[in-house]
Amino acid sequence: MTQYIVRRVIQAIPVLFLISVVSFVLMMQAPGGPAAQFNQNPHISPAQINKWLADWCLVRQPTVMDTVREYLGWLGVWNCTGGSFLSAHGLPNFLPAFLGGGTNGILHGDFGYSIETGQPVLQMILARLPATLILMGTAFVLWATIAILAGVLAAVKRYSFFDQSVTFVSYVFYSLPTFWLGLILIFIFGVTLRWFPVQGIVNVRNTPAPFATSAYWAAFAANPLPYLYDIGAHLVLPVVTLIAVSIAGDSRFVRSAMLDSLHQDYVRTARAKGISERQVIVRHAFRNAMLPILTNLALEIAFLFSGAIVTETVFSWPGMGRLYYDGVNARDYFLLMGILLIGSVLVVVMNLVADIAYAIADPRIRYD
Amino acid sequence: MGTPPPPDVLLDVRDLRTYFRVMDGTVPAVDGVSFQVHRGETLGVVGESGCGKSVTALTIMRLIETPPGEIVGGEVWFNGRDILTLSSDEMLQVRGAEMAMIFQEPMTSLNPVLTIGDQIAEAVVAHKKVGHKAAWDRAIEMLQLVGIPEAQRRVKQHPHELSGGMRQRVMIALALSCDPKLLIADEPTTALDVTIQAQILELIRRVQEETGTALLLITHDLGVVAETVQRVVVMYAGKVVETGTVDEVLQDPKHPYTEGLLASIPSQGLRGTRLNVIRGSIPNPFRMPVGCRFAPRCPYAFDPCRDHEPPLEGPGDGDRRVACWLHSRPPFGIEHRPRYGTSTATALAQRTAGVAS
Repeated sequence: MTQYIVRRVIQAIPVLFLISVVSFVLMMQAPGGPAAQFNQNPHISPAQINKWLADWCLVRQPTVMDTVREYLGWLGVWNCTGGSFLSAHGLPNFLPAFLGGGTNGILHGDFGYSIETGQPVLQMILARLPATLILMGTAFVLWATIAILAGVLAAVKRYSFFDQSVTFVSYVFYSLPTFWLGLILIFIFGVTLRWFPVQGIVNVRNTPAPFATSAYWAAFAANPLPYLYDIGAHLVLPVVTLIAVSIAGDSRFVRSAMLDSLHQDYVRTARAKGISERQVIVRHAFRNAMLPILTNLALEIAFLFSGAIVTETVFSWPGMGRLYYDGVNARDYFLLMGILLIGSVLVVVMNLVADIAYAIADPRIRYD
Repeated sequence: MGTPPPPDVLLDVRDLRTYFRVMDGTVPAVDGVSFQVHRGETLGVVGESGCGKSVTALTIMRLIETPPGEIVGGEVWFNGRDILTLSSDEMLQVRGAEMAMIFQEPMTSLNPVLTIGDQIAEAVVAHKKVGHKAAWDRAIEMLQLVGIPEAQRRVKQHPHELSGGMRQRVMIALALSCDPKLLIADEPTTALDVTIQAQILELIRRVQEETGTALLLITHDLGVVAETVQRVVVMYAGKVVETGTVDEVLQDPKHPYTEGLLASIPSQGLRGTRLNVIRGSIPNPFRMPVGCRFAPRCPYAFDPCRDHEPPLEGPGDGDRRVACWLHSRPPFGIEHRPRYGTSTATALAQRTAGVAS
């Protein structure tokens, strides 16, 4: 088992490398550029721009080799200031700093500086991470629970009123675009009925400091309940927007996996044993239907990330999704590459977790 | 509501009818089937695919999925009570405990994600009111009984680590784990290699002798029937066409269908000659023939066969029963004019002679 996990982790490394290449190439291909943004910013002097360009191996009219060097510099394999693969200590640049490697590039945790704000990219992303994790975590737990419960019940009570209702509601929600659903929810439950707040993660009137700052956390720790309630109320509409469409699709998936499982011979064997119907469904039918459902949920995590961009934008949620949207508008390339990479790493990690969970759930998986 | 059968009759199936209501109509999969199994006895149910053997077995276990299936009539007296009248909760006490079943497909009949021990112990815990440890020990004991080597190790394995023959042994161990009075085996050897088939049959026979359980063996293999059972029920298109002891039915088949089944067994002596198969195929279940259901394929069919259903009655004494106009006096006023065939025609000649004298 340990060996299996180690091997899966090692297999993830080339995937992450490819993701970094794709993130970089996508940004290279995008129109506009950092220089165009700098030119519009009166606070930056030409000397600062030139230093910034040199630090990141950026060239004004890059050849193909320059582009490769830019990528390697961003990655941390190329030492931009020294202009070689070797660090200032004369050792390979990709080694960690404490082993005598360089300090530039994502391998060393240096994601560069935002063109727009001048802050380190990593710091900006980490500041936005809690809001995104709260939104996605809540969404994922609710999503998986509701989709599984609705799907299993619909399969067990096939063709019943409940089943038909789930089918009907699923088709309605499945056809709705996320951004439209978000706007309609804001209009009905936020603006008209005033049941839920329409934007942000906290009520700024009642909090001593902006969300995710240390002052905020201090106040949160002192008296968590009203703050939790505040976040909860703000979560309702974005979470519903984020998961309604996915639940619609996934409950159908769970239903068909469960129906498939319910008609297997081993379920008939279980019934022939004379154990209760609940045990038959939970221990035998659902336990086997779990396997395709696990795989599906893992794949859907990536979908959750992309859905978060739209949802966070619609609800002004201070998370990574909206940071990405703002970054695109500002052509903030280092920020975008950083978010793409960190988002991808999270998805790869989630898939890894799902793979390992699958291996635990299915004894037929071979570890070698 | 009928009266209970005598105590030596473990299972008494009376006029059982199971229909499947599907989109295109109603399929009478089991249509008026009656037979008895005595305590400790082995009864064989034979017939070709689709004749209602498995549905009969699943109906007795009350494992028919409703809908589309529905038990529309009949009684199943088992161990002194009509189990068709039991609630589904009461049936949980019967199923697995008093009657157990072995299925055709050992490869798919075991849950792939649970260990063998878990699957056997689960049944034991449900019926024997013992703890998990005792149930686990019982599982090991059962695996030893069915001849699985290294039972201590095997009990922790998952089904995919076992061969088909081993899995069928596990199914037998599972079925017998709660000491059932009746074991229903639905084509237990069909999916296995020929060499393994013999071992599994031998095993079933041995454990049946050791445990004294009655066996209802469903098969289409007359060789298996000849080796294993004491009495035979021959089914065709949802009905019983002939019953009797295994010797009577196999040595002296009365019904043309039984005769055809026996004639269609390939044998070394007939090598090179054309196999004598029953022509045609089983009737369309949505449009069953009005009279005898075998009439369209029967080489001896004559007038009453096409319009009147023959009763299942004895051509002589004992438990021998056959549903064929060749062996029964047709209803009054119907012309009785058979076309003559071979051996069954002889039987007919004997019968008409008897009637005349």
